[in-house]
Amino acid sequence: MTASKKLLNYAYYPGCSLHASAKEYDISTRGVCKVLKIGLEEVPDWFCCGATPAHNVDELLSLSLCAKNLSLAEEVEGDLAVACAACFSRLKTTQHHLRNNDIQRKQVETAIAAPAPLGKKVKHMLEILAKDYGLDKLAAAVTRPLTGLKVACYYGCLLTRPPDVPNLDCVEAPTIMEDVLNAVGAETVAWSHRLECCGANFTLSRPGVVLQLSNAILDSAKAAGADCILVACPLCHGNLDIRQKEIEGVYNVSYGLPIFYITQMVGLAVGVPATRLGLESMMVNPLPLLKEKNLL
Amino acid sequence: MSRIGVFVCHCGENISRTVDVERVAQEVGKLPGVAFATDYKYMCSDPGQTLLKKAIQEQHLSHIVVAACSPRMHEKTFRKAVEAAGLNPFLCEMANIREHCSWVHEDKEEATVKAIEIVGMMVERVKKNRVLPTITVPVTKRCLIIGGGIAGIQAALDIADCGHEVVLVEREPSIGGHMAQLSETFPTLDCSQCIMTPKMVDVVNHPKIKLYSYSEIEQVEGYIGNFQVTIRKKARSVIEEKCTGCGVCMEKCPVRKIPNKFDCNLGMRPAIYVPFPQAVPNTPVIDRENCIKFKTGKCGLCQKVCGPGAVDYEQEDTLIVEPVGAIVVATGFDLYSIDEKPKGSPIKGYGEFGHGKIPDVIDGMTFERLASASGPTGGKILRPSDGREPKQIVFIQCVGSRAREKGISYCSKVCCMYTAKHTMLYHHKVHDGQAYVFFMDARTPGKSYDEFWRRSIEEEEAVYIRGMVSRLYQKGDKIVVMGSDIAVGVQVEIEADMVVLATAVQPQKGADTLAQKLGISYDKYNFYSEAHAKLRPVECATAGIYLAGACQGPKDIPDTVSQASAAAAKVMTLFAKDKLEREPIVARVREAGCVGCFACKKVCAYGAVEEKEIRDRQGNLIKVVAYVNPGVCGGCGTCQATCPSKSVELDGYTDEQIVAMIEAL
Repeated sequence: MTASKKLLNYAYYPGCSLHASAKEYDISTRGVCKVLKIGLEEVPDWFCCGATPAHNVDELLSLSLCAKNLSLAEEVEGDLAVACAACFSRLKTTQHHLRNNDIQRKQVETAIAAPAPLGKKVKHMLEILAKDYGLDKLAAAVTRPLTGLKVACYYGCLLTRPPDVPNLDCVEAPTIMEDVLNAVGAETVAWSHRLECCGANFTLSRPGVVLQLSNAILDSAKAAGADCILVACPLCHGNLDIRQKEIEGVYNVSYGLPIFYITQMVGLAVGVPATRLGLESMMVNPLPLLKEKNLL
Repeated sequence: MSRIGVFVCHCGENISRTVDVERVAQEVGKLPGVAFATDYKYMCSDPGQTLLKKAIQEQHLSHIVVAACSPRMHEKTFRKAVEAAGLNPFLCEMANIREHCSWVHEDKEEATVKAIEIVGMMVERVKKNRVLPTITVPVTKRCLIIGGGIAGIQAALDIADCGHEVVLVEREPSIGGHMAQLSETFPTLDCSQCIMTPKMVDVVNHPKIKLYSYSEIEQVEGYIGNFQVTIRKKARSVIEEKCTGCGVCMEKCPVRKIPNKFDCNLGMRPAIYVPFPQAVPNTPVIDRENCIKFKTGKCGLCQKVCGPGAVDYEQEDTLIVEPVGAIVVATGFDLYSIDEKPKGSPIKGYGEFGHGKIPDVIDGMTFERLASASGPTGGKILRPSDGREPKQIVFIQCVGSRAREKGISYCSKVCCMYTAKHTMLYHHKVHDGQAYVFFMDARTPGKSYDEFWRRSIEEEEAVYIRGMVSRLYQKGDKIVVMGSDIAVGVQVEIEADMVVLATAVQPQKGADTLAQKLGISYDKYNFYSEAHAKLRPVECATAGIYLAGACQGPKDIPDTVSQASAAAAKVMTLFAKDKLEREPIVARVREAGCVGCFACKKVCAYGAVEEKEIRDRQGNLIKVVAYVNPGVCGGCGTCQATCPSKSVELDGYTDEQIVAMIEAL
């Protein structure tokens, strides 16, 4: 065990989803951090990062929303922890633009009436667990190893892409999710659709597309022998979890794959009480699987 | 009193666009010691040089400053002109007002003032220049060639046919290189073996070629005309002089299942082996890592069955020193290994293509072995996984090449053509099969190349899809290829039986280490650097070392052979003289001041500093001082900067000259 004396403290940007449809992601993130003694202090007065709609409508608006949030985050000490893959992507993309485009930077600085907040390091929870906290230490913190659980780690589009922006891991062949899951004792399966798109926002405007794409992901995970899928993005979660029943009906298949957030699964392993992981709000009931594997 | 002539060049508009060259000539003309100053549009051209020579004679000039480009570009040109006019060439200096001034500035007024100062510095410097006599050194008329692929073989045969001795060193047990692995070659589809193996035989039979196979370069010392090369002849465990090449040892060897590197690990070989039946020399080598005798001490079967008694388990590596006058580096290429990310390398892997994990995803060289009549399948295209004939085959180009986000930005140059060739070979062998090619651009410059590529589409029915592939994955016994067709703007999925990746051409592993031994420069990818991209494409900046083939950059066979012959011609030019003139820019020791600390000896990269005893008339030792061997000295000046008593000076770069330049500012 590599014990580090340094306490980890972060500014925390939950993002809108984590206060609404992905509440369980927020609850479990806080739960994991509490157990691992990782300090999280919510950014005061944070607001929406603009997500997909903003940057499709007005790039300056999208950059300014994120820049303002980053600027607010500077009031809290520590790097900025983000759990939602979309917020993470937008915040990182904004910093990338502000660093590399002088014209945009000046426009944004005028819009937010503050200097461009480039100093704040934006980190995804995966990064915090795997790199800052450390895999060895994480493995040592495990009280209930997820032995016997076969997990398909699903990255989606935003965690690693585009190249040179998130810099979380290798763009097309990342392993950071698998690394974290292996550290807490789960078995990860090799499968084909780890980085394919689930259909994302088209869930409202073109649900047919989402059903097709998400079906391919579920099908591939099932074929690889996974018991469940692990995600780090509320939108992916929505498409794979909420729409799973519908997909099963449309394609006349049966998956029954619970869709966990990374922090729910890590939480389970490091001893966050199962009742504090928001498992009850998952549409595909995970409890039978967890009971079967003696993880409850 | 010096009568200095200053010649300011416009370099077309390269200099005159940002520097007022006429004003530079006027201003510099006023400096003390300057007798003549003028400007001209192209000073390096024939009229320019004539202007210079005429001025030297008519104006009785004693020293010359040419204000033009970098001395790396034209110092030799102007020194030659000065010499032709009757002056010692080392009384001519160049003031660089192009790279150091006009190219890097925008403001004409400021650039002009700077140019005047640069020229002024050189005027003061040239006043201190001494007449330097040319140094001549003998030339050893033997050439070392490193690498026995087509480049090394071509260069070796050319030089040896000219009557000079050649020492050819090859790392592998056989010469032949990658070309010996190929099936058929574009754009004529002639069999690679048929055109390669006779050349290999010519090498081994040539009385002027000394072949060291299974050998590596250990150390290189010396300089142009006079290199001392230490070669490590690795223990073959078979005595070459005794072996008749009968092959009984290979038949009897009980270890049979070692993947053969020559067959891209598709075929198997015994522990005592030749890489392929047409190997030259046809002498087996024992792979000690896999041999039972070396692992356990038992067996020894090959020694028992060997009639001539050629198997020798006790053999050790031997070091041989060969004196040579020139070196041709022809170490060739390797394919980008995409299944593993090289440690510490900025180059990223292609985990998303599953190479190394999905058995039927292979690279171009593996396909060559499958298609080769002498390959592991006897020329049948069969899947490595189950030996079935693939009916749908997908070729993916630019895997690693032209992929900045993966770490390589260059084009590998040969892949477009060899992929077109692969589709043809496939179509010739699998009549009911379908080939698809994902490509970015088809790059087919070369004689009969574009016609060849068109043929693959129009006659051989290959379907070309413009777009890249994002992912490959195994689904049952198929490989799903997920790609895009940007011409139509749709995503494409093909269920293929086999996928061939045209992976990037990279220099051989260890290219950087060899370059350091040779003292030649290389780029960030480890390709060796030529002295000038256009005008000196086969020479290294290090005198006496030449480049041939893909070690300098990706190249196909015709280009490689041309470059190898060009390098050979350069070597023969060097060997045409008995003595070699070399620049007298060498360090000299002022013996009176030298205290014999030999700090200079420690820092000398060329091993040029020797110890010299100073004795009085009675023969009593007075002191030991440093002596710089002018034949060996590289003229770098490190000793001059190191010497605590200021007793070493580099001719042409003395402290006096440098101080004069600084004072002129």
